[in-house]
Amino acid sequence: MEKKNSETKNRSSFGTQKLDDERRVRVLSPGMLVFKRFMRNKLAITGLIILVVMFAFSFLGGLFSPYNQSQVFKHDEEIMKEYATCMQSTDFRYTIREGAVFPDAARAQAALAISKGQTSFTYDDKTYSLVQEGENVYTFGDALMVANTRSLAGKFSISAVEATGFTVSDEFAAAAQAAVEARASQFEADGTIYTVENGGKSSSIYHVESIALASKSVFDPYEESMEGLTKSFAFRYAVEIARVKGQTTFSLDDKDYVLSGETNELLVSVQENGGTTPVCSVSDILVSPNANDIFLTAEFKAIIRENIRDKQTKFQYTDETGALVDYRIDRVNTTYTVRTLKESRVITMFDFPTAAHLLGTDSNGMDVMTRLMYGGRISLMVGFVVVLLETFIGIVLGGISGYFGGWIDTAIMRFVDLFNCIPFYPIVMIIGTVMDKMEIDPIKRIFILMAVLGLLGWTSIARVVRGQILSLREQDFMVATEATGIRVSRRIFRHLVPNVMPLLIVQATMSLGGIIITEATLSYLGLGVKYPLASWGSIINAATNVHVMTNYWFIWIPAGILIVLTVLGFNFVGDGLRDAFDPKMKR
Amino acid sequence: MNDDIVIEVKDLKKYYPIKAGMFGRVVGQVRAVDGVSFRIRRGMTMGLVGESGCGKTTVGKTLLRLNDKTSGSVLFKGQEIFDLSHNELRKIRPQLQIIFQDPYSSLSPRMPVGEIIGEAVREHKLVPEREFDDYITKIMRACGLQPYHKDRYPHEFSGGQRQRICIARALALNPDFIVCDEPVSALDVSIQAQIINLLEDLQKEFGLTYLFISHDLSVVEHISDTVGVMYLGDMVEYGTKKDIFAKPMHPYTQALFSAIPMPDPTVKMNRIILEGSIPSPANPPSGCKFHTRCRECMEICKTEVPKRYEAGNDHFVVCHLYGK
Repeated sequence: MEKKNSETKNRSSFGTQKLDDERRVRVLSPGMLVFKRFMRNKLAITGLIILVVMFAFSFLGGLFSPYNQSQVFKHDEEIMKEYATCMQSTDFRYTIREGAVFPDAARAQAALAISKGQTSFTYDDKTYSLVQEGENVYTFGDALMVANTRSLAGKFSISAVEATGFTVSDEFAAAAQAAVEARASQFEADGTIYTVENGGKSSSIYHVESIALASKSVFDPYEESMEGLTKSFAFRYAVEIARVKGQTTFSLDDKDYVLSGETNELLVSVQENGGTTPVCSVSDILVSPNANDIFLTAEFKAIIRENIRDKQTKFQYTDETGALVDYRIDRVNTTYTVRTLKESRVITMFDFPTAAHLLGTDSNGMDVMTRLMYGGRISLMVGFVVVLLETFIGIVLGGISGYFGGWIDTAIMRFVDLFNCIPFYPIVMIIGTVMDKMEIDPIKRIFILMAVLGLLGWTSIARVVRGQILSLREQDFMVATEATGIRVSRRIFRHLVPNVMPLLIVQATMSLGGIIITEATLSYLGLGVKYPLASWGSIINAATNVHVMTNYWFIWIPAGILIVLTVLGFNFVGDGLRDAFDPKMKR
Repeated sequence: MNDDIVIEVKDLKKYYPIKAGMFGRVVGQVRAVDGVSFRIRRGMTMGLVGESGCGKTTVGKTLLRLNDKTSGSVLFKGQEIFDLSHNELRKIRPQLQIIFQDPYSSLSPRMPVGEIIGEAVREHKLVPEREFDDYITKIMRACGLQPYHKDRYPHEFSGGQRQRICIARALALNPDFIVCDEPVSALDVSIQAQIINLLEDLQKEFGLTYLFISHDLSVVEHISDTVGVMYLGDMVEYGTKKDIFAKPMHPYTQALFSAIPMPDPTVKMNRIILEGSIPSPANPPSGCKFHTRCRECMEICKTEVPKRYEAGNDHFVVCHLYGK
């Protein structure tokens, strides 16, 4: 013991005084040697630099980017918006007298009767009379029994049907008696035509009342308060009658109205207090606003109609605030669309690169640069997790297979063969479709993708590990560990694993590139990472649209370049590691 | 007397099955070791000679139970090695060591030398942890290595230095018995001498017992106390070094010894040339296995297996020429 102490003391003093072999020769562990050799390989360093840049871009870039990966950019833009739609009025419009019944289905019969020139038609066991008042103006009458007559022994009596509120005037009574006795079917009294249904001793007198009006005119009130009036049967009937008869005035409800303008563009005004106030315009063109909240004034409608008739495509109109607004008219068949510039908030799609968006925006209005950063995270992370998973399964199964050999080896290797028989793309596509169908959360999807890729990819690593361990197991130094009685776990982890490691590192680095490509392929096919998450592959997916591919290079080219560079980087580093681990290479 | 015998091998056989077909049916056996018996006393060195493929290394590995045996027994200090459980075997492992032929493949390339030498010492807790460093230093010095080599890796050493590391690894466990499996055949002559001398010095210092396997007769002559000659899995002659080298009895031994190069060019060498090559151990010749190449071959040799002939002084030979 004392001797040893003096020896160590000797050694230490020796060491401080003299530059002996111990200090002169630098000791390099195999790891350091590999590192030195690696650093001497220019290509490997290039690869390493590429990878460092990629990692910084992906993992740090996201922190510096002012945007979020799924942030949608919008901007205000003036776009031509549909403002109003105009149609030439070609169908009959029906105005029904208040309180009367004229079912919708009867209108079809009415249209048929009009086209056939009939004077009456039947619908639902009810006969309606049809009177043409003028061109494209028809009234529909329904016979209403107003009075009954009775001739008893030459004595003529007449009584009104009480329900109708009809009163028998002297003129009516005289005219009715004359008509019944003359067996006439019609007579006129008080300026009204009545029909008589002779039944021998007693007859019924009917008064045909107009219950509906069919015309092609469009009524546009000047004030919203006048809408009630302009929609009423009496008003429309009066206007139409006046119009077809060429009259310029008519009176209704003790008010006098004046018609002015042409037949297809009439202005109806009411005479009040010595002046005239416009009530509505009557035309053959229907103008309706495209939004519910817009009220188009009759004046404005008249101007639109005027422009349509003049076949104009552009016109200007001063709106209520006094601003001059441009309008455009587009014609499709008999429909005219009036458009005007409207300010609205739109998604900034396919914005070319600017200072705000260095690589522009994509079809969803998201910043391409930011999505590349976040996408890189996912692409690289998928690569690493999958490789770790693959390597773990590969080491465990390959290690067991190689170390224990025998039937265990055979069983595991046949299992590997089995896995190699699974067609990769069909399986992944099926799983992708199933996930689509189940609408799995995009983040969960990534984990499932990682697991699937890892479970399908471990076989090659298992083979490599097994082969390596089989050859190492027979080496003398492994026999020596047995001869020196070192326990099995230590033999595996201190002797076998460190010797397999170099090969594994190379294999894993090389397969990283492959997995990034696979992930990109799957995402490109729409089976991998899904919106709103991004990966480089799913960003390139935009290029499936020919329009995007040909016009917006900045969306998909950068992602492609990143994938190429990263895979190249991994392959360079992998090659460099392989060369560095190769002991035959010069130091 | 019995305590004096460190290793006793009795009729040791090691056959390797030849498998064929889809289900690995055993169609034959390679008789690598076919009934070998010998004993080695404490502090002695037994040389095992024979041409390549005659089963020398298999004997060495099997008697350390690095291979399974087919039959026979190996007694280490009277204890049957093949009866031990794995745990018991692990406990006596340090006492039985081996030095390999190839110093390049027998050191783990990713471990520093100090670790290689000390790993098993720590594993078996042979020395207290605080004396560990000094102990390794001592062993390394004894094997002609410098303490500063401890942190280096095997690739930084020459073949001779590596073999010293292997010896140090075996020695560090304080063994009683070391199988030296052609420890110098991969080294050049000057280094061979160093290693042989080292082994001899260590034997004296630590009282080691060696089984020295070699095909180099001059080395065996130098280091051995007794010599066994093997041919095709059989031990054909055994005796003390003196007896065997002075008076080789078996025709194979005679042929073998006639091939030892003489340093004196004036002496005419009377070499016995063996014709043909060594037959396959999977299909050995009938009768005496050597009869196909023996120049003294008689009719009886082709049919009958020769019996052991004791020539006295623990010298025996297996040949029909003797004992009639």
